[in-house]
Amino acid sequence: MDGQPLSALRDLFGERLFTSREQRICYSYDATGTMSLPDAVAFPVSAEEVRRTVLLANEHRFPVIPRGAGSGFSGGSVPVQGGLVLSLERMDRILSIDTENLVAVVEPGVVTETLKEEARKRGLFYPPDPASLKFCTIGGNIAECSGGMCAVKYGVTRDYVMGLEAVLGTGELIRTGVTTVKGVVGYDLTRLLVGSEGTLGIVTKAILKLIPFPETAATILAFFRSNHDGSSAVAGIIRERITPCAMELMDRTAIDCVREEADLPVPDDAGCALLIEVDGPRESVSTEADRVEQACRQYGAIEVGRAGDAKGRERLWTLRRSISPALRKVNPVKINEDIVVPRSRLPEMMAFLADVASRRNLKIVNFGHAGDGNVHVNVMISGTDEEERRRADEAVSEIFGKTVALGGTISGEHGIGISKAPFLEMEVGPLGVSVMKRLKGCFDPNGILNPGKIFMEEQMAQR
Amino acid sequence: MARGKVALVDAAISGLDGNAEALQEALSDCLLCGRCERACPNQVRVEEIIMKGRADLAEEMGIPAWKQVVFGRVMPSAAAKNAARTAAASAQKLFLRKVPTGSGLHYRFPEKFGWEGRTVPALPGTSFLGSLAHGEAVRGEVILFVGCVFDHVFPQVGRAAYETLRRSGKKISVFRDAACCGLPALVSGDKASALRCVEENIGRLSAASPERIVFPCGSCLLMFRRNVLSFLPKGHPLYGQAVRVADLCEDYASFLLETGVVSRLPDPPKGEKAGRIGYHDPCHLSGTLGKGGEGREVLRRAVGDSFAEMKGADLCCGYGGTFNIRDYPTSARIGQNKVSVAAEGGTAVIATACSGCILQMRDMAARTDPSLRVVHLAELVFQAISHR
Repeated sequence: MDGQPLSALRDLFGERLFTSREQRICYSYDATGTMSLPDAVAFPVSAEEVRRTVLLANEHRFPVIPRGAGSGFSGGSVPVQGGLVLSLERMDRILSIDTENLVAVVEPGVVTETLKEEARKRGLFYPPDPASLKFCTIGGNIAECSGGMCAVKYGVTRDYVMGLEAVLGTGELIRTGVTTVKGVVGYDLTRLLVGSEGTLGIVTKAILKLIPFPETAATILAFFRSNHDGSSAVAGIIRERITPCAMELMDRTAIDCVREEADLPVPDDAGCALLIEVDGPRESVSTEADRVEQACRQYGAIEVGRAGDAKGRERLWTLRRSISPALRKVNPVKINEDIVVPRSRLPEMMAFLADVASRRNLKIVNFGHAGDGNVHVNVMISGTDEEERRRADEAVSEIFGKTVALGGTISGEHGIGISKAPFLEMEVGPLGVSVMKRLKGCFDPNGILNPGKIFMEEQMAQR
Repeated sequence: MARGKVALVDAAISGLDGNAEALQEALSDCLLCGRCERACPNQVRVEEIIMKGRADLAEEMGIPAWKQVVFGRVMPSAAAKNAARTAAASAQKLFLRKVPTGSGLHYRFPEKFGWEGRTVPALPGTSFLGSLAHGEAVRGEVILFVGCVFDHVFPQVGRAAYETLRRSGKKISVFRDAACCGLPALVSGDKASALRCVEENIGRLSAASPERIVFPCGSCLLMFRRNVLSFLPKGHPLYGQAVRVADLCEDYASFLLETGVVSRLPDPPKGEKAGRIGYHDPCHLSGTLGKGGEGREVLRRAVGDSFAEMKGADLCCGYGGTFNIRDYPTSARIGQNKVSVAAEGGTAVIATACSGCILQMRDMAARTDPSLRVVHLAELVFQAISHR
């Protein structure tokens, strides 16, 4: 980006344009640790400013990379080709929460937890709960279609976006979707924009669905001897027609990491743990919890604990929460994937992961939202050994292959970004990629928005 | 989220050909409240990274003249601190305007200072240490480390801490000729001055071989318990002593609970303006050191049902040491939010256990609601002992 577009941006944003090297560094990365410097960073406060920015970008042909809190896990907000990072953090107003129609209208920079809390105050629930919810933004959640623990029962961000206002790559401002429960008028552009990783449009306003806040919840922690038993229990509970609001699985390595720190007893022969939460009306929660306990025992649980009050539940959750910090004990660098398989195929996938780890001599820690078939596969490497890095990359590619073969998907909630771009075609096929690229051309003919994401460079060139 | 600052330090280490001043500016914008560190699943030691970054930059760019004088000459020397207080006390009376507040007299800076009406407490003529009789509290198995602020600015807190610690039945000695704990210098990146303070203190504390060292101020305590160990090089001749001293250091409230002072307090009066006294969580004490429960327990025993959980108890006061001097408007915005949330929740007295928090919240109260009182926990315990 040279002097002319910069001075036009300066006119538009004034003090709200950052160009110093130090300031740009602060907007050059995301949670993957990948870094690439933008040429400038701007902080719009209105849809009109976003629109004018994209018009300028079309005139001068510079990339525009929308950014929320930079907590993404696939490189979605990293400005890999430079250009202008458009940080939406200052568009952070909750415009309305309609308690009669259960609809919230928010700007993209609203922090997810803020919305959840505001809804909660009104007895309402905005379920999506990505692990970064204390600082990630709704705009980023929409761009990557974030999930979380409660997806097993309540779904993901997509399921709560009713309508959007967005600036397309052409600089046009579009309104999609509805403010009503139903709506089938033309193509569903809202769902297309959700998860499009800022490559089709920049969300400037979102209409979100809220639901009543569940009356109560109970938490069950069950230990099993093996991953096979634990993952069979997951499938078994679903088969029992129970839908927990969280069902987290931890494998032996994960348990070993936290065994000492956890302030609750972990059986010596525990090779797998399931943390299960059920919520809803008081009467049904207690019977569902009973049935979950029963199912766990049926699938060979060696110990089952349960808590109904907030304090006790929190104590059980500490086991799950202490895993991430403890992972460093295994190895310092984490390659974090978020594959999903149909829940009935979980035992098979877990066995395959163990096999890959031993065959390729790698440390792989598996835990995550097993209730929806989503496993966080963490290949832990030293980061200094090139040969180990290569083995890890090969393992990831093998795991992706198996995932697709089992009828699963290579990313449940992180998105493709740059880290999974090489595997896009593996899952969606050449026609899938081709249609996606044609759509991209229709929304963003000059390739202004977030270039270098989702598609490999050569795939883009073929268009 | 502190990832931006961490990314900056990372870039600087790997040879950022950028502007050191801009970098310093960015690293200065941090209260070192430790929240990001506690929220981080990977336990990145952000505070340490930022302090090291500041120190490296200070080495490159030099320390501003006023800091050199304050950190390098005044803070490490008890005599110089005394002289500075006396001089400042006279200057206050001459140049600043009086503002009476619920916590005592304050002075307001004129607008032309560009400090948007900052107020400072009236400095006393005599420090707490100066008020001790000759030979009083010189020897004892428990050392009270009063800290600069509770010695020179709020000697009544030093006195209250001393008097209440004596109820433990232990012999209390007050640490004389103490240098500053060194935290203000350290967070400003002035490692040399911080080191002087630490060397002054550690050697003598260690030689006294006390059973315990008690700190009324959470930030001083953090310096001794954690920061000293992260910035003293492992090979430093005092390192071993610093580790042993760190183990002896304890917060005021924990000591009171442990030694039974609190359980021996007379029963607090019932139903007297229930719920008007709240507890403020100092970031370093409650957050980093995890000592939030102890202060509340002491308060509950001292004032009974006058204590109630305060609204926004764990909101940061915004002081951040020299942050408050560097960027007063931002510091004041955070601080005013803190005290107004508390006041709106019905709190009339804020009790806490950190000198920085008290300085800041008194200033904020003087600006927004002079009837709001800000006190140290020890003052209320002392009151409970003396008046019942």
